[in-house]
Amino acid sequence: MEENSSDDQRATANQTVEHRFEFRGDGFEYFKIWIVNILLTIVTLGIYSAWATVRNNRYFYSNLYLDNNNFRYLAEPLTILKGRIIAVLAFVAYSIAAQLMPIFSLVLLLLLLVAIPFFVNQSLAFKNRMSAYRNIQFRFHGSYGEAFMVMYIWPILGVLTLGVLYPLAIKKMHEYRVRNSAYGTTQFSYEANIWDYGKIFLVILGIGVIGFAVTVGISYLMPAAAIISPALMVFIYLAIIVFFMVKINNLFYCSAGLANHRFGAHLTMPGMASVLLINMVLTIVTLGLYLPAAKVRMAKYMADNINLNASGSLDNFAAAEQENVSVLGEEFGQVFDFGL
Amino acid sequence: MIIQGNYLDGKTSRGRRAQLLYRESSELQIVVFDEEGYSSEESDPKSIAVDFHNLEIESRLGNTPREISFAGNQLFITPDNDAVDALILELGTGESVSWLHKLESSLPTIAASVIITLAVLAATVVYGVPKAAEVIAFKLPEFVSSKLGSSLDVLDNTIFDPSALTESRQQEIRTLFAPHLERFEDLNPKVEFRSGMKANAFAMPGGEIVLTDDFVELVKDDEELLAILYHELGHLKHRHITRRALQGSMITLIVVLVTGDLDTIDLLTGLPTLILDLSYSRDFEREADQFALEHMRAAGIPTENFALAMEHLQEYYAEDKEGESSENSDSDGESWTDYFSSHPATQERIDSARDFR
Repeated sequence: MEENSSDDQRATANQTVEHRFEFRGDGFEYFKIWIVNILLTIVTLGIYSAWATVRNNRYFYSNLYLDNNNFRYLAEPLTILKGRIIAVLAFVAYSIAAQLMPIFSLVLLLLLLVAIPFFVNQSLAFKNRMSAYRNIQFRFHGSYGEAFMVMYIWPILGVLTLGVLYPLAIKKMHEYRVRNSAYGTTQFSYEANIWDYGKIFLVILGIGVIGFAVTVGISYLMPAAAIISPALMVFIYLAIIVFFMVKINNLFYCSAGLANHRFGAHLTMPGMASVLLINMVLTIVTLGLYLPAAKVRMAKYMADNINLNASGSLDNFAAAEQENVSVLGEEFGQVFDFGL
Repeated sequence: MIIQGNYLDGKTSRGRRAQLLYRESSELQIVVFDEEGYSSEESDPKSIAVDFHNLEIESRLGNTPREISFAGNQLFITPDNDAVDALILELGTGESVSWLHKLESSLPTIAASVIITLAVLAATVVYGVPKAAEVIAFKLPEFVSSKLGSSLDVLDNTIFDPSALTESRQQEIRTLFAPHLERFEDLNPKVEFRSGMKANAFAMPGGEIVLTDDFVELVKDDEELLAILYHELGHLKHRHITRRALQGSMITLIVVLVTGDLDTIDLLTGLPTLILDLSYSRDFEREADQFALEHMRAAGIPTENFALAMEHLQEYYAEDKEGESSENSDSDGESWTDYFSSHPATQERIDSARDFR
């Protein structure tokens, strides 16, 4: 962090203050924006989708507050539209090439695999650059080598070791995402213990094994009660998903820091489960019309349970140099769907 | 006009309380104060004159704070959306008196949007997607679909085992099929026998028609085998496999357009997508059944054989489920589980074969 020396230090400067994140959006308000987005996207045969994306993102960024200041989403719809058109053209060109010359398509696919880490870096750089808080933009500078390791080598090692190294692969991914990010000129830090990752996976393994044993046990000992077995399996499966989401998010945020400020998170299993369950039921019952409100509910829950323990004032972060990152990376990322 | 807000200079993260002042025929000014309760004698409020050619006022979005950026990276931000709308009117720049926001906040528009969106989506999903997939599937050059046919190798390596039928039985069936296949040479049909799976028959896009051993054994009559053959030829003729794949990707594309991102494709959107795919699949099965019945009649094979083959299939799977009683009792179709099946209810298929004329 760059200290602004001309500023007087206030008495409270080095006290730790807990700032809660806060999401001030409203389900019905967002529903109205969302449905108009869809209507205009239909009417314009998809062209409006770039504007829709910007309006959706702006709604979620601008309603997210920390210490009474909101985040902002800065991307221009035209930039996104351009990237989207290029990406779709590239995809169509690839599909045609793949059909005309199957061997050529293999070469292209190989080239694409080589290029993916580059695109992911670009995409994250764009995403961060288009995010701002207190009029300071975020940044992302990932190296090709690290992206390559995180995307291919670590996960492959995880598979080859039958999952033993998988927690490490996830940890490396988190480090890559956070340590390469910056708020203005201030780099984020990420300090986590591999054992904390390992524990999560061991517990999941435990739940899985015990759950399986119980299910099998029931159908052997009480054949009459075997009808509940499928329901039990689904329940265990959902419990594992909720457990993983809660624990991995808590670990992720608690391990992240910015200068002397530490992030914290205290998501809980009952809390997350009820949000997911309410969202799922209402979305299905309303034929999807509840989807926007569901997103708002999830955003509220996440924000309410994530905080920043600030040591001193948040006033002294400095903006980074201007830089231009092409929108292409992000849009390629969307077309070929690289989930991180 | 005075608008209260916050000023951020874009160089540091420090925000200051500020006012935006506008008087007719004078410049736009932003007056920046030091933090409240902060030594008052320190300095006079700083005043920044704003050239309104450099001014950018964000369009209104719900109740999110309004952002006014100017002179490069400086930002004035205010929760007072109405005041900013009034300012835009007075400045006469007009352009961003947000018609979007008007659309987004008028209830009649919202109601109309919901209805139009649902109607368009329903029409697209029910008519548009199948029609588009059909057109594309028949425009695709032959070799594209035949390249996909190599997927039989994949199945051979994973699910299928070589057939246990005797060579002579296989030859017998091939001879039985040969005259019927002759008229469909353009489809390049090739009959294959495999085991390793329950009674089933499929058509691959390359033209292979695969019959499993269980299937060959469960039918009681050669003409029933022909009924199955014609059903699979129907799939080939109508390019159902290619169309189903195309329809799947179109639905995914629509979901992405509607929800705005790929992250949403999970349990929530996955279920409706699956139900749609299965409903498309059932339509294809009906079309293939229809094809089979028509061509059986043309070839002089009693269509009753189709119904018999289906009945034998039904018995086969009923025995398979022995113990789990009640399941088969709802013989006349209409059950909610139908929505989760890739094929129409077998009873429905038998009935429509018998009603065929």
